[in-house]
Amino acid sequence: MISVRNLTVSFGTTQVLHDVSLDVAKGESFALVGESGSGKSTILKALGGQLTSWGGELDIIDAPQGAGSKLALARKVQMVFQDPYGSLHPRRTIDDTLNEPLIIHGEQGRDKRVLDMLDAVGLSRRFRFRLPHQLSGGQRQRVAIARALMLDPPVLLLDEPTSALDVSVQAEILNLLKSLREEKGLTFLLVTHDLPVVSFLCDRLAILRAGRIEETTDVATLRAGQFSSAYGQELYQRSVDG
Amino acid sequence: MSLLSVENLRVTFPSDQGPVEVVRGLSFELGRERLGIVGESGSGKSMTGRAVMGLIASPGQVTADKLAFDGTDLRDMSESALRKLRGARMSMILQDPKFSLNPVIRIGAQIEEAMAVHGALTRSQRCARMLDALDAVRIDDPARVARLYPHEVSGGMGQRVMIAMMVVMEPALMIADEPTSALDVSVRGQVLDILDDLVKRRGMGLMLISHDLNMVARWCDRILVMYQGAIVEEIAAGQLYAATHPYTRGLVASLPRIDESRDRLPVLDRTAL
Amino acid sequence: MITRDWLLSDDPETRMQARLGQGYRLARALLRNPLAVVGLAIILLLLLVAMFAPWLAPYSPIQGELANRLQPPSATHWMGTDELGRDILSRIIFGARITLMIVLLVAIIAAPLGLLIGTVAGYFGGWVDRILMGLTDIFLSLPRLIMALAFVAALGPGIENAVIAIAITAWPVYARIARAEVLTFRKSEFLDAVRMQGASSARIITLHVMPLCMSSTIVRVTLDMAGIILTAAGLGFLGLGAQPPLPEWGAMISRGRSFILDQWWVATMPGFAIVVVSLGFCLFGDGLRDVLDPKQRARG
Repeated sequence: MISVRNLTVSFGTTQVLHDVSLDVAKGESFALVGESGSGKSTILKALGGQLTSWGGELDIIDAPQGAGSKLALARKVQMVFQDPYGSLHPRRTIDDTLNEPLIIHGEQGRDKRVLDMLDAVGLSRRFRFRLPHQLSGGQRQRVAIARALMLDPPVLLLDEPTSALDVSVQAEILNLLKSLREEKGLTFLLVTHDLPVVSFLCDRLAILRAGRIEETTDVATLRAGQFSSAYGQELYQRSVDG
Repeated sequence: MSLLSVENLRVTFPSDQGPVEVVRGLSFELGRERLGIVGESGSGKSMTGRAVMGLIASPGQVTADKLAFDGTDLRDMSESALRKLRGARMSMILQDPKFSLNPVIRIGAQIEEAMAVHGALTRSQRCARMLDALDAVRIDDPARVARLYPHEVSGGMGQRVMIAMMVVMEPALMIADEPTSALDVSVRGQVLDILDDLVKRRGMGLMLISHDLNMVARWCDRILVMYQGAIVEEIAAGQLYAATHPYTRGLVASLPRIDESRDRLPVLDRTAL
Repeated sequence: MITRDWLLSDDPETRMQARLGQGYRLARALLRNPLAVVGLAIILLLLLVAMFAPWLAPYSPIQGELANRLQPPSATHWMGTDELGRDILSRIIFGARITLMIVLLVAIIAAPLGLLIGTVAGYFGGWVDRILMGLTDIFLSLPRLIMALAFVAALGPGIENAVIAIAITAWPVYARIARAEVLTFRKSEFLDAVRMQGASSARIITLHVMPLCMSSTIVRVTLDMAGIILTAAGLGFLGLGAQPPLPEWGAMISRGRSFILDQWWVATMPGFAIVVVSLGFCLFGDGLRDVLDPKQRARG
């Protein structure tokens, strides 16, 4: 589904990713774990088309990332951002926000699709014409997830989708993401620093440090705390000890 | 005698629908210890910290039956006396150091300025103490960092600089509002160690306000759990999993674990509270 | 049935209700500010006077009776007459049309132009930004009245050319403001999100970026109205704006200047009109700023 080969990215003279390679299978949920500056979000940005220059190969659903049109890429991949306050346009109603991708792609039957999507992400229909500031953080994140799913993309990029949320709301959003993935057969690529979230939501994970992958393993290793790399074990210990 | 004594603290804000109470009759005592205050957004935990510091701006209203710091009543203190107290004996660390440091003054100079509260020191004395303070917060090259401007350091470094300012002031009471939530786990440990050191060696009282249940539970001597402006439960160190209040238990249960095997996380049922 | 509760509902049922509700909230906030209401009243008065000028004016603004020249204010001529015996009140009433036209034309030309240039520069950044802002700075660095004078001198005197000249000198400010505003949110995730949906840059700028700069531009335009009126009056005063016998307020002051010591009303009455209208726009602009300022609204 997603194949990354020798991805290198530099900002100016600093190289933030060194020869990163990973594969994510269809329907899989894959986590990129690391601290800030590890380059985990940069991989997501490259896949989402937000970076203009990188080295290596990026394939999404058997096509190179840069090859198709922007519209074609939009139907394959969408993203859910970290900050539910900054990722919604402050002056557009929920309805505007959810309609926008459909209008851009000239889709029909928009009203029904917006209402269906509100139901799918567990938002009451009466929120449809509210502005973002009339919603709580968790509700906003549901809108952001709904927006990402409007075009039915098979791949969802999740950039720390719950780290700005309260604990109890985080549980709701994690449950929602898990159900949506099961219903729609989505492929997830999740960026996070939170190992318990990975344990709940993901099948495999890669541990990044300073722009390199230290270790790629499945979630059973995480649950058992048996990383083969020293850094992986260190992250695990810190997560357990706080 | 306790350092901070609060009885029936209330914070009210006016709104279109009449006054809204964000802190509803809070009472607690703080000694020379690490007191954790946890709650979710809107629980009033930050407002509690700000109210104690006298930082609730109009139109917010603060009332309390008792609000005493080290024997002095804070309620009818003048704004200038409060400001003096805030500079010297009570201090506050916020989540983002960027908003607390002056962007156009070098870090070293800002720390030296903070020393002014302790009377006249010579220039070289001040400089030496400033470097000591930076060293105390585990900054490797204090002389270099002292010459930097706040935007030139990372978030973790900025937070440590903030704490260095607190170190030179040696406050008797520190209120830390989410001091580590913008930091990586590795830096988080260091910052907590420094705070710990201040409490243990200098006998400071610390109020740690956070949303992070696990961190507070592991690290504080005592935890107050806040929900909708009131304390619902007090928990002793390490007893988080023995919590009895349904809200606390709900929160604990809804946290994913590192060896997670549940298919769905239990969701807090707010209607049952 | 439109009721207050329907407008203020947190859960509007239709797009229409949501829009009306937002409008109602804005209007309500604006009406709570007494100075803004005064400003609004002055502007409405100006609109009404301009609209009904032929019915309101007691005399012709252009035909005068030389026998009645330079009459002081009286029951027949409330504001007196000028050196050609024309009724000053009638001239001021008809002058409202000219003032309003200038103000509207400048707003229609300068504000969108400035908004477009500012948002494009801010959104793209890089060399687009450098070129557009360089251009803006060149215009901004030249004194407004002198620039306008130069344009009118080149294009020839007359009210249309005065409007063009003022508009050309007014847009750089809006471009600067819009760009500064765009810089605060150009990296924000809601723009990343529409970009990822495949939206074109033109769509993003017009539908997502511009609406966020709109309120500060509207506020600024309103506050600038006073300046625009004064510049137009200045051009009129110098004989480069509206040409006689058009009753433009600035030109009227200019003509009255020769009699200012003996027949004070000839210059003072139009000056008074300029001051009142300018003040109206300023007060209203201030009120609008309080209501539209995104930071103020975020708290509500």
